[in-house]
Amino acid sequence: MVADVCFHDTLIDSASEVFETMMFMALEKISPEEAEMAEDTLLSSITFTGALEGCLAICCASQDAKLIAANMLGMEPEDDISMEDICDAMGEVSNMVLGSIKKRIADAVGEISVSIPCTVSGKMLDTSLGEKSNMTEEFVNLDGSLVKFQLFYKDN
Amino acid sequence: MAKSIMLVDDSATMRKIIMRTIRAAGLSLGDIQEAGDGGEALEKIGQTPVDIVLCDVNMPGMGGTEFVEKLRSDSSYDSTKVIMVSTESADDFISSVLALGANGYIKKPFTPESIQQTLEPFMS
Repeated sequence: MVADVCFHDTLIDSASEVFETMMFMALEKISPEEAEMAEDTLLSSITFTGALEGCLAICCASQDAKLIAANMLGMEPEDDISMEDICDAMGEVSNMVLGSIKKRIADAVGEISVSIPCTVSGKMLDTSLGEKSNMTEEFVNLDGSLVKFQLFYKDN
Repeated sequence: MAKSIMLVDDSATMRKIIMRTIRAAGLSLGDIQEAGDGGEALEKIGQTPVDIVLCDVNMPGMGGTEFVEKLRSDSSYDSTKVIMVSTESADDFISSVLALGANGYIKKPFTPESIQQTLEPFMS
């Protein structure tokens, strides 16, 4: 049952697993009131379909995305990392976080199929899944970087 | 002699991370090839066979399961070991890929320890 799933905990636990395992970065949950997103952001999203359909979106400032990519690649933030590599890294983050969510909700929700991730950069980016969707949103402090996680979903 | 390896993943970043993690696990490798999907992997293996393939599942173009099926349909690659690397963690799925002919499975996110544990039996 979808109603039995606490998507807030699932989202945070899944993100923590990925960032701690692959990037050795610890997440600290912060309240939406404390969170002020930068104007220039990078948005990575990945969709899913099946018993539940929706989208996971991960958004952060472009410079913070570079920090995340550097950690993934074992590089220094001041190293030269191409935008292509940064977008690719953020896509992999969303892929792994959704994979972890999928594992955690499988018993309650059933099987879902996952798309290929997509990452874009721009100003004031936002995601939507239409009026009838539900949305769980979490903001985290990631070693000084602000990252927004949004999980949009609706029953199929 | 160090084993030759092919990394198959549509993400160049993930290929770099896997390579870095293999090195962090202390495993020594011979020649390294890369491919962005199963079709490119089959083409490259046809030209230069490798000992071990580390292959993603969910890729645009030919995915990992189709790659395993096609590779195992050709007996000249019987000795090639295929390790799947994926976020997919359902036991049924993993069993089905192993039944197709994959030799091991690494779940993402992974650690140097999990990579070492899965790869080491195929490195000697």
